[in-house]
Amino acid sequence: MEYKGIKSTNDIPKQGNPRGQEPAAPSNALALPGPEGSRDQGKGVSENALVVGPTLQSRGKNEGGLPGKSTTVIPASSSSSYRNFSTSAIIERIPSRWPRPEWHAPWKNYRVISGHLGWVRSIAFDPSNTWFCTGSADRTIKIWDVASGKLKYTLTGHIEQIRGLAVSTRHTYMFSAGDDKQVKCWDLEQNKVIRSYHGHLSGVYCLALHPTIDLLLTGGRDSVCRVWDIRTKMQAYALAGHDNTVCSVFTRPTDPQVVTGSHDSTIKFWDLRYGKTMTTLTHHKKSVRALARHPTEHSFASASAENIKKFNLPRGEFLHNMLSQQKTIINAMAINEDGVMVTGGDNGSLWFWDWKSGHNFQQAQTIVQPGSLDSEAAIYAASFDLTGSRLITCEADKTIKMWKQDENATPETHPVNFKPPKDIRRF
Amino acid sequence: MMKPPLNEILPAAKSTVSTVYDHSNDPWFKERFSVVESEKSVVLKGKVVPRYLQREGFVPRKVDDFGDGGAFPEIHIAQYPLDMGRNRSAKPGSKILPVTVDAHGNVAYDAIVRQDENSKKIVYSQHKDIVPKILKNVEEEDDMDEDEELQKEIEQTTQETKAALEKIVNVRLSAAQPKNVPQHNSESKYIKYKPSQQSAAFNSGANERIIRMVEMPVDPLEPPKFKHKRVPRASGSPPVPVMHSPPRPVTVKDQQDWKIPPCISNWKNPKGYTIPLDKRLAADGRGLQDVQINDNFAKLSEALYVAEQKAREAVAMRSKVQKEMMMKEKERKEQELRALAQKARAERTGTVVAPPPSSMATPMDDMDTRGDYDTVRERQKDAPPKESREEREERLKRDKIREERKRERERERRLEAKDAAMGKKSKITRDRDRDISEKIALGGANVGNGKGGGEVMYDQRLFNQEKGMDSGFATDDQYNVYDKGLFTAQPTLSTLYKPKKDVDGEMYGGADEQMDKIMKTERFKPDKAFTGTSERAGPRDRPVEFDREVEEADPFGLDQFLTEVKKGKKAMDKVGGGGTMRASGGSSTRDGYDGGSGRSRIGFEKGK
Repeated sequence: MEYKGIKSTNDIPKQGNPRGQEPAAPSNALALPGPEGSRDQGKGVSENALVVGPTLQSRGKNEGGLPGKSTTVIPASSSSSYRNFSTSAIIERIPSRWPRPEWHAPWKNYRVISGHLGWVRSIAFDPSNTWFCTGSADRTIKIWDVASGKLKYTLTGHIEQIRGLAVSTRHTYMFSAGDDKQVKCWDLEQNKVIRSYHGHLSGVYCLALHPTIDLLLTGGRDSVCRVWDIRTKMQAYALAGHDNTVCSVFTRPTDPQVVTGSHDSTIKFWDLRYGKTMTTLTHHKKSVRALARHPTEHSFASASAENIKKFNLPRGEFLHNMLSQQKTIINAMAINEDGVMVTGGDNGSLWFWDWKSGHNFQQAQTIVQPGSLDSEAAIYAASFDLTGSRLITCEADKTIKMWKQDENATPETHPVNFKPPKDIRRF
Repeated sequence: MMKPPLNEILPAAKSTVSTVYDHSNDPWFKERFSVVESEKSVVLKGKVVPRYLQREGFVPRKVDDFGDGGAFPEIHIAQYPLDMGRNRSAKPGSKILPVTVDAHGNVAYDAIVRQDENSKKIVYSQHKDIVPKILKNVEEEDDMDEDEELQKEIEQTTQETKAALEKIVNVRLSAAQPKNVPQHNSESKYIKYKPSQQSAAFNSGANERIIRMVEMPVDPLEPPKFKHKRVPRASGSPPVPVMHSPPRPVTVKDQQDWKIPPCISNWKNPKGYTIPLDKRLAADGRGLQDVQINDNFAKLSEALYVAEQKAREAVAMRSKVQKEMMMKEKERKEQELRALAQKARAERTGTVVAPPPSSMATPMDDMDTRGDYDTVRERQKDAPPKESREEREERLKRDKIREERKRERERERRLEAKDAAMGKKSKITRDRDRDISEKIALGGANVGNGKGGGEVMYDQRLFNQEKGMDSGFATDDQYNVYDKGLFTAQPTLSTLYKPKKDVDGEMYGGADEQMDKIMKTERFKPDKAFTGTSERAGPRDRPVEFDREVEEADPFGLDQFLTEVKKGKKAMDKVGGGGTMRASGGSSTRDGYDGGSGRSRIGFEKGK
């Protein structure tokens, strides 16, 4: 296969399909339209991965003769031959194969840092994991110590709220972007703005750094994602194609190197060589305000108000929805290496998910700091630290909250209450 | 080895020019004589058209499918024999998408979304693309291998991307750099030529001329000569199928949740809309919170009420007791007085009467005492037998009158009490609560204490008004608008400026000094008269004097006659006093009556 991100193993079908021996197979076959099934039977031997009820026998024979590579993605409907079948027929066999969630300790808030004078809208971690910076609606960037939560420095220079922050792993630079259409490059040795990237026609909502090339990507309200050459301040591309604000972006070292989510409810993959769209994902119904890449796997999640969806990466295949619905606008999402995903909503709900199964194992609610309105409970940014053991959320009550896992919790005290999805109505 | 023929080696002739006209190439000739040849070719390569009734499944598409003939009416398909009617301008392949099938022979309906630009992209268009899939664990063997592969891929991608970006950035940079302003070619070219007209008249007789050609210098800062036009943005990437279910219809609850009440301010309403009172109250926000009243308020008011009640009772009791005591006291005093009176009477008459019962007597035997008293009086009445008959009669009359008066008073009192109880106003209280402000306004307040009342008061201001409509309008040239000061009540002098004492004394001088200055100023006094007038200019020192006209003699005895009439009128007054018509005699008679109208009076004279 052309995408090397996908591992190939021969024995996957055996593992992944314990149903092969199930005697219930004939009943499934009833759901299949006759003519296609019969056609499959006729041609089945020459095809790969045909898992239709009536052809169980032929598949059994087929296993050894499968081509050397197969995807690790095991579609619930095993092959394209399913495409005209009813949804119920396809989904019926999912629950038994749905992965069981891992146990994760519940998270609890252990520190509240108040220091900003406005909504805290963005966060970025230092590659050394000793400090982090937050950008706020009070037009300042503040740098905090991770261990103690003490303020280390305050940077001013923006004239509107700061919506995007990133710290370079390859330089001593920090990048910030804000509603004032400005994108700034800060030298952390002098704590000064040394470059500013001019070109956005409206507020800049998100910012990302390319992992291997000196590129800066910013997306904004002008519905364009701009690619900047860091050193020369030149705009290499304006990735135009979205119909609405680009509010989330992340980058990868391999293709697709840029993924953007937008208020037009689409996700686009971009080819950085030509500045063209590679793929457009239209699975969401509402604006995609948060994107998060899994740190190790080749997959990412996208959050919109109606659903959180998981996609496979090089090709952008839809994997599945998260199993519950948060029912709020989701502004922030973060994933750590242990497979904990966290989403922060506009109503202050902070939900923790098991990445593998999409099971929501904890629903936390932030408590606004005294003096704030109840309506000021909103989480605008969230990030795990580099080890993944601490979570930091930036909120509308002008505070920064730090979360960690409960050490005393055991699977016995907090059992996983999980039922595999029986009937998936929403895609 | 065989040599190829020469005409194969040589390239085809580009043009053939024959010296003799070849009529066989002439269209006219071809039209007539090449028919046979073309027929021959048709016969040679023409497809065999199935015979009639055997044309099932035969689809004529090309020209030679039709043989030599026209369309086949029994085949229901668009046919273009001899290409007649076929639209040649449109390329048939561009818009028609061939039906494609997948490996199983199913029609790939999504081929339509994978055209043009999208053909190079991943386009998800099928139902299975939105069905959940489960990601398997990848953490297995080959980790190293995979990492290596990944590294390689990353490197490769990085290199390619870097190269592509560098190219773009360099182009942009060089465009922005000022160093490559196009340098105009400073080299000059010399052209030497011989003019065609070689004569002494032209070119000042020169044989040859040399011209130096230099490129015209261009101003690097010159603004562009052509206007840049905005080019509409190229259409973005072609649309891809929408992979989500259609949006749910909005429920009633959703709609209600989204209803944002209009902003109503209690302070601003620039458009001046009428805002219902309930909306205003809602905007106030005071109605939104429940009022919590402390229980202690109720307790306090209860306690206060009880205390007040008790206090009232106590006061009432005390006053009752006091009243009783006072009554008793009064009783005792009365008894004493009565006893004294009796004693005095007894002394006068000389008879000793038994003393009246003591003051200690209870009110119960009050009647008895009165009875006693009456008997005493009776006795007293009987006692002096000396009074004469007249006296007695007189006394009886007096008594009768007294009785009568007493009864009347009592009756009146009773009536009054009844009226007061009924809510009526009695004669006495009637005038008590009347509004007397109008009386005061009319100057009637003085009536009571001044002249002793009885006199009817009129509003004096309404008298002697010659300004009403019935007096007619004043003539135009009369300037009597401001005949009086506006505020007559306000004394004019007080409003005039008067210097105050010892204020700004050193600046303007003392008060007297200033006053003098003001008084003696000549500024506003007329000191010039109109020329030609006899009047003296300057201030007058005496009042205006009028010359009395010399009285003429009374040749006809008119004056005398008039005085007689005057005298006679006095006698007349009594006569005509009761009449309805009042006659005033003569214009000269002034009897204090000032007629209301300004007309000249009509005089009535009594005929003699």
